[in-house]
Amino acid sequence: MTKTQIKLNGAEEQLKALLASAGQDDAAAKFAEIGLPTRRIEAYHYTDLKTLVREVPAGIASDNDGPKANRSAFEGAARVEIVNGKLAGSFDVDGVEVAVSGNTGSGDDSVVLLSEALVGDVVEIKISGEVEQVLHIDRIIDGDAAINADKVTVTLDDGAKATLIETYNGSEAAHLRLATTEVVLGEGVEFAHLQLDGNSSETRHFASNRYELNADAQLQTFVQQSESQVARTTVSARFIGGGAHADFAGLNMLTGSQHGDITVHLSHLVANTTSTEVFKNVVNGRGKAVFQGKIDVAQPAQKTDAQMMCQGLILSERGEVLVKPELEIFADDVLCAHGATCGELDEDSMFYLMSRGIPRAEAKAMLIRAFLAEAFEPIEVYAVIETLEARVDSWLQEQEEA
Amino acid sequence: MTTPILEIKNLHVKVEDEDKQILKGVDLVLPAGEVHAIMGRNGSGKSTLSYVLSGKDGYEVTEGQILFHGEDLLEMDAHERAAAGLFLAFQYPIEIPGVATMTFLKAALNAQRKSRGEDEMKIPDFMKLVKDASKKLEINPDMLKRPLNVGFSGGEKKRAEILQMALMQPSLCVLDETDSGLDIDALKIVSEGVNHLRAENRSMLVITHYQRLLNHIVPDRVHVFSDGKIVESGDRDLALELESKGYADFDGHAA
Repeated sequence: MTKTQIKLNGAEEQLKALLASAGQDDAAAKFAEIGLPTRRIEAYHYTDLKTLVREVPAGIASDNDGPKANRSAFEGAARVEIVNGKLAGSFDVDGVEVAVSGNTGSGDDSVVLLSEALVGDVVEIKISGEVEQVLHIDRIIDGDAAINADKVTVTLDDGAKATLIETYNGSEAAHLRLATTEVVLGEGVEFAHLQLDGNSSETRHFASNRYELNADAQLQTFVQQSESQVARTTVSARFIGGGAHADFAGLNMLTGSQHGDITVHLSHLVANTTSTEVFKNVVNGRGKAVFQGKIDVAQPAQKTDAQMMCQGLILSERGEVLVKPELEIFADDVLCAHGATCGELDEDSMFYLMSRGIPRAEAKAMLIRAFLAEAFEPIEVYAVIETLEARVDSWLQEQEEA
Repeated sequence: MTTPILEIKNLHVKVEDEDKQILKGVDLVLPAGEVHAIMGRNGSGKSTLSYVLSGKDGYEVTEGQILFHGEDLLEMDAHERAAAGLFLAFQYPIEIPGVATMTFLKAALNAQRKSRGEDEMKIPDFMKLVKDASKKLEINPDMLKRPLNVGFSGGEKKRAEILQMALMQPSLCVLDETDSGLDIDALKIVSEGVNHLRAENRSMLVITHYQRLLNHIVPDRVHVFSDGKIVESGDRDLALELESKGYADFDGHAA
């Protein structure tokens, strides 16, 4: 049997060699067949990695004397670090257990394939009961440019309640980050999962967030993409128990030639599950924001209510916001809606604020903050909102100065 | 002789990027303490005059000048005009979701103070100021917690405009069709709010196409506006005459 071979470019050859040298022969062989995703693959329609990732760092992140990344901390939160793929420290919190294992995952998508095959520690977190203290995992890449793959799995026992903040921090170098987070929510779980971006500006960031919701589980998520050169977060969720509900939110805030892609795939598989999506995109310069939202409603999933909203604010002539909703509905008694709006700052609103004495830059900042408020508002950890708002303010300041 | 608050000299204005001339030689002197009304048909250029005064983009002054306290108004940005004491009450106040009315009021007042080199207001002073002014206009405090103008009724929007005017204490108030969208009770409250602000060092330009508003806000002078300029000026009786005869007698156009 002959396998199809494609012509690999330099970056792909390097990645293939890296897989082989990591002892992942099957993954290397498979990667040689498929290479990096191109726009011919529907899920990568606007994010062609063959062109966006033309060169990759030489090796896997390890201890070295290169530059250090910033560390994030939130007052009152219990904090652990994963540095260059290795867990450092543990949570000393009742109801939270942390263990480390090796990886066993695989995938057909080449980003998932690489993420799983190259992963360092798989950090396994088990949560039971109501955990009041906010948990924080700081996922760090220290040192010179490197490929870094880490993975966190969170299992929430029935009735558990917790909030997890994840921060991605990287030293000033052109890293390739592959991050996986898998969350299983038991029955009646309440879980908030907030991911903040502290990557370096040259980083290429690929995150896969996968959720499974059992009966009556309540999930709230937020994803920030604003720092990396190229960022793509895929959010996928499987609703497998009735009464499960999830609110997904996120932000692309891009400038220069940044490319940020958030791709969401929800599978409502059983009756009586609900979801909302609120994604905001602000682009300046030649920034390109992508949102793809797919909702599958299986035949038994009657009474599904899925509401998807994506909004874009374009601050420059060459900024782009690309939005693609997809609905596949096999049940007949469902409410599914998707909406997308995209535009520039409203001139009448600008004039109104200025006519009241507010200078142009401040009026612009007020309207942009107002545009984002809807996505930040549901976040219950005040320190996270503060971090986000401070970043919006400094970002606006940078745009004024540019 | 004291400098008038507003002096418009031979003002010609066209829409930017178009050849459409809207104002064709407006002359107006508004002395301190006076209230002047501008009456005219729809499309006569009344609202354009208010936008040009307040500094909206999209218009080009091709001839003439505007002096505000003797200074060249056209040299100032919209926000500088506000800080210098010019206030436009909008015909259609803009709804701004995501910005609480209180937050907006504080930002606007402080921005104006900052432009004038004054310190920011202390929060308790600000709260008291807003509370007192709202009470006079029968504005429910809950309204101020809502996003700016969002979901406000027509009357609430106009009252919110007058509230802003009361808080900002401008020296020139331009009221653009403030009576539109108001029922009789709301018209009374709004007019009382405006009358309360009449002062020796403050002038008002009241733009309307109905005489009705002028029963409540009694003007010192009335100007009839037609085809981009003032065609007739007189005392308040002119408004009554206009009401009974119609605009055609003044501008020669059929209604």
